[in-house]
Amino acid sequence: MSEHSTEAANPSDSAFKLPASLSKLALPLCACGLILLLLGWGLGNYHGGRYAMSVYLTSFIYCLTITLGCLYFVVIQHLCRAGWSVVVRRIAELIMVMIVPLAILFLPIMVTLWFGEGTLYHWDSSEYQAANHIDAEVWETKSRFLNAGWFFFRAVIYFSIWAGLASFYFRGSVRQDETGDKSITDQMQYWSGPAAMLLALSISFAAFDWVMSLAPMWFSTMFGVYLFAGSMLSAHCMITVVAFILQKNGAMRDEVTVEHYHDLAKYIFGFLLFWIYIAFSQYMLIWYGNIPEETEWIYRRQLGSFGVLGLILIFFHWMLPFLGTMSLYVRRRPTLVFGWAVYVLVLHYIDVFWLIMPETHSGTPGAVANAGGVIGVIASVLCVLGMLGLLAGVVLRVADQTKIAPAGDPRFRESLAFENI
Amino acid sequence: MSDDSNEKKVHGLFAEYDSVDSLLAACRRVRDAGYTKTDAFAPFAVHGIDTALGIKPSKLPYIPLVAGLTGTGIAMLMQIWMNGINYPYIISGKPYVLSIPAFMPVAFEVTVLLASFGAFFGMWALNGLPRFSNPMFTDPRFDRATDDRFFLFIDAKDQRFDAEGVRQLFADTGSQYINTVVEDDTPKQIPRFLLIVWALLVGFSIIPALIVAKMRVTNSDKPRFHIFMDMDFSPARDAQQTTSLFADNRAMRPDVPGTVARGQLGDGLDYLTGINVDELSRMDSPRAEQLVRTFLKPQDDDEADAAGPPAAPSAEQAASADQTASVMDTTPWLKENPLEITADLLDKGQEQFNIYCAVCHGRNGKGNGLVNQRAQQILAQQWIPPASLHQDILQQDKYPDGKLFSTISNGIRKMPGYSGQIKTRDRWAIVAYVRALQQSRRASIDLIPADKREEITQLKTEIDKKLAEQAEAERKKQEEGEQQAAKS
Repeated sequence: MSEHSTEAANPSDSAFKLPASLSKLALPLCACGLILLLLGWGLGNYHGGRYAMSVYLTSFIYCLTITLGCLYFVVIQHLCRAGWSVVVRRIAELIMVMIVPLAILFLPIMVTLWFGEGTLYHWDSSEYQAANHIDAEVWETKSRFLNAGWFFFRAVIYFSIWAGLASFYFRGSVRQDETGDKSITDQMQYWSGPAAMLLALSISFAAFDWVMSLAPMWFSTMFGVYLFAGSMLSAHCMITVVAFILQKNGAMRDEVTVEHYHDLAKYIFGFLLFWIYIAFSQYMLIWYGNIPEETEWIYRRQLGSFGVLGLILIFFHWMLPFLGTMSLYVRRRPTLVFGWAVYVLVLHYIDVFWLIMPETHSGTPGAVANAGGVIGVIASVLCVLGMLGLLAGVVLRVADQTKIAPAGDPRFRESLAFENI
Repeated sequence: MSDDSNEKKVHGLFAEYDSVDSLLAACRRVRDAGYTKTDAFAPFAVHGIDTALGIKPSKLPYIPLVAGLTGTGIAMLMQIWMNGINYPYIISGKPYVLSIPAFMPVAFEVTVLLASFGAFFGMWALNGLPRFSNPMFTDPRFDRATDDRFFLFIDAKDQRFDAEGVRQLFADTGSQYINTVVEDDTPKQIPRFLLIVWALLVGFSIIPALIVAKMRVTNSDKPRFHIFMDMDFSPARDAQQTTSLFADNRAMRPDVPGTVARGQLGDGLDYLTGINVDELSRMDSPRAEQLVRTFLKPQDDDEADAAGPPAAPSAEQAASADQTASVMDTTPWLKENPLEITADLLDKGQEQFNIYCAVCHGRNGKGNGLVNQRAQQILAQQWIPPASLHQDILQQDKYPDGKLFSTISNGIRKMPGYSGQIKTRDRWAIVAYVRALQQSRRASIDLIPADKREEITQLKTEIDKKLAEQAEAERKKQEEGEQQAAKS
C-alpha cells in the first residue's frame, strides 16, 4: 500500500501500453474469427437455415451480453464513484465499444427477417399461427408490437443508446489519459444515473425482442433481468480474464494486484447468486402458476438433451462455481480466479444456448426439441469462437491505439493503493 | 514495589504512537519479538495491521457457512415434515413431500437468517463480546485512540511478558508515552437510577396487560372495537353465500367441466358408471353420448360437486316406473367387478357397507337394519322396507355388478345415491362385499375345505341349539309378560 501511494503514476509508463505480443495478434484474430464464424454458420446449415441462424443468434447474444455487461460495469463504477476498479476499468471500456461491430453483426439477423423464408422469429410467419391454432385476434394484437418494421426501429434505438453511451464514456476516459482533466470525471458521473436507467430498460427490451420473442406466445417480465444477470456475471469474468492475460504478457504487472482480483472474484461470486436468484424466481412463478401458456417454454427446455443442459446450469453454472469462489483462499489467487472466470464464461455460453436453441424447431407441432447432435455442437462452438475472435481482434486494434489503463483518472492512485484486508 | 501496584492488578503495558507508519513498524517489531497476546488501537481501520501483528485469518467465515447450511437443512426438513408428512394438504395440486421450488424461498430465507446470526454472534463470541469496559479506559490519554493517536498493547498474560523488557521494547520503537494498564477500580454496580428506570419500565409495561385482563371480565354495552375491520369481517365469501360477481349469484363455484378428482385420472367411464360404454354406444349412441357429455360437463349444478357419475338411468326412472324398468334392463351393465377381488378389497367393502348400508339393509343384508326396526316400531306410514340383498332378483346372474354399482351410486326408489359420499373404488368394494354376503347365504357345505367341514357342522348344531333355547326363553318371557299384564 504505502509503496504505491507515494509513487506517482507515470502516464508514459510502458505498463499501460498494449504489449506487442498481443497487438500483433489483432489482424490474425480478426481473420481467423471471421473464417470460423462463416464455417460455423455454414456447418449449421446442415440442420437447415433456421438452425444456422439460431447458432448465429446464440453467438451474437453471447457476445452482446458480455459487451453490455462491460458497459454497465463502467456506468456503475461512475455511478458509485468507485476507486478500486479504475485500473481494470479500461478493459471494460475497450470491450464495451464492441457494441459498434456488434451492431453490424446484427444485420444478418435483420436481413433474414426482411428477405429470408422461415426466419428465426415465428411472429413473422402466419404458418406458425395456423399450425398452433392461435386465435386471430390475439395474433393480430401480438403483430402490432412484433413486426419487422417496428422490430428494426427498436433495434436501431437500442444500438443508438448503447453506442452513444459507449462512445461517450470511452471518449471521455481516453481524453482524460492525455489531459487528466477532473471535470471529465464529473461529467461522466453526472450522466451515469440516467445512463444506468436507460441501459436497464434497453437491455430488458432487447432481451424481449431478440430472445424472448423466439417463442412469440410466451412471456415473462423477468426475462430481461435474467439475461442482465448473466450479462453482468460474464462481464466481470471477461474483465478478469483479460486482466490476467494482459499481465501474463507483461502489461500492468504492478498495477493490477491481488486485491483487484479479490474484488472481481467477489463480484463473480455475487452475480452467480444473483443469476440463480433470478432464474429460480422466474422458474418458481411459472411452476407455481402452472398455466400451460407459460409452462410450455420451460417444458420444451426439459426435453431430451436440453433437460440435461438445464440440470448442468443448476449444478455447474451455479452450485459448483458458487462454492468454488466462496473461499478467501481462491479469491486471493489470481490464477484460480482466472480459472473460475473462464469456467463461468463457458457455462454462460451454455446458458445462452439453452435459452435460444430449443426454439429452433418449436414452430412445427410434434417436433422434438433437438440440440443438433455433434454437428450442431461443432457449428455452435465454431460460430461463437469465431465471433469472439473477431471481436477480440477489434478490441486489440482499438487497445493498441490507446492505453490499457485510464492513467489520467483522478482516482487512479487510489485504485493502485486499494486493499481489501 | 509500591503500594499502588500492590493494590491493583496489572493487565499489561501500552505505548502511544502518533502515526500509522510508526504503529505498523512497532507492531512488526513486537510480532518479531515473539509476542502473541497483543492488540492495536487506531481511530480508523488500518490495512495490513493483521499481518503486522501476526494475526492469523479469522475462523469466523466457517461459522456463517455452517449456520447457513444448518438453516437450509432445518427449513427443508421442517417443510417436508409439515407439508408432506404431518399435515399433507393439497396446495395448487403440487406434490406433498418434494415441492422443492415451493420450499426454496423459505429455505433461502432461513439460510440467510441463520448465516447472519452466525456471522453476527460468531463475531461476538470470537471477540469476547459484549464487553462494556476495558482496563485501557483507565488512562485518560487513551481517549485519543478515537481521534488522532495510535496505541499498541501487550498483555501481561503473554508468556514472554516482562514489564521492564516490554517497556524497553516500546521505547526502542520510538514511543513517547508508555504506561502500565491497571485494573479499573471504578464501581462495578449498576447505578441506582438505572435500576429505578428499569423497575418503572417493567411496572408500566404491565398496565396494558392489566387493562386487557380487566376488559375480559367486564361487561359492556358498547359494540366491539375492531382493529382490523377486514380481518374481522373478511370480504371473501363463505360457502353457500351469494355474490353479484357471477351471473348465477353463487359464491361457491362449481368444478370446471372435465375436472378429475385427484388420483382418478386413469379411471375410465366404464369404471365410473358401471356401464359398458362401448356396447352402449353400439346399442344406443344418443344415450351413450349423453352419458359422456353429462359426465364431462355437469348440467345440473346440484350434481356438480358429486365426484361420481350423474344418474343417467335414474333420471329417467323418476319419470316413469315402467320405462325405468326397461332402461335398467337394456343398459349393458358391466358383468364383472372391474377391480381385482382381494381380501383387502373385501375388508374395505365390509367396512364401507357397515358404515353406509347396514343402517337400513342390516349387517347381514337381510333388510332389517336399525332404521327399518325403528320404522316398524313407530309404524311409519311412508316407509318402504329396504330390500333384502339375498333375494333371487339381486343375484349376480340377474342383477349384474355394474347395475348394483349404479344403484349404489345413483339410488333407487327411496334410497338416495351415494356417489357423493362413497369413493368410486369403495363403491366397487361394496359391490364385491355384497356378492360375498349373498354367497354366504347360499353356499353349500361342499364349498368348505374338507378338513373344516366337521368343525363347521358341529358349530352349526351348537348354534342352532342355542338359537332354539333363546327362542324358547323369549317366548316364555313374553307369555309371562302377557300374563302379568292380564293380571294387572
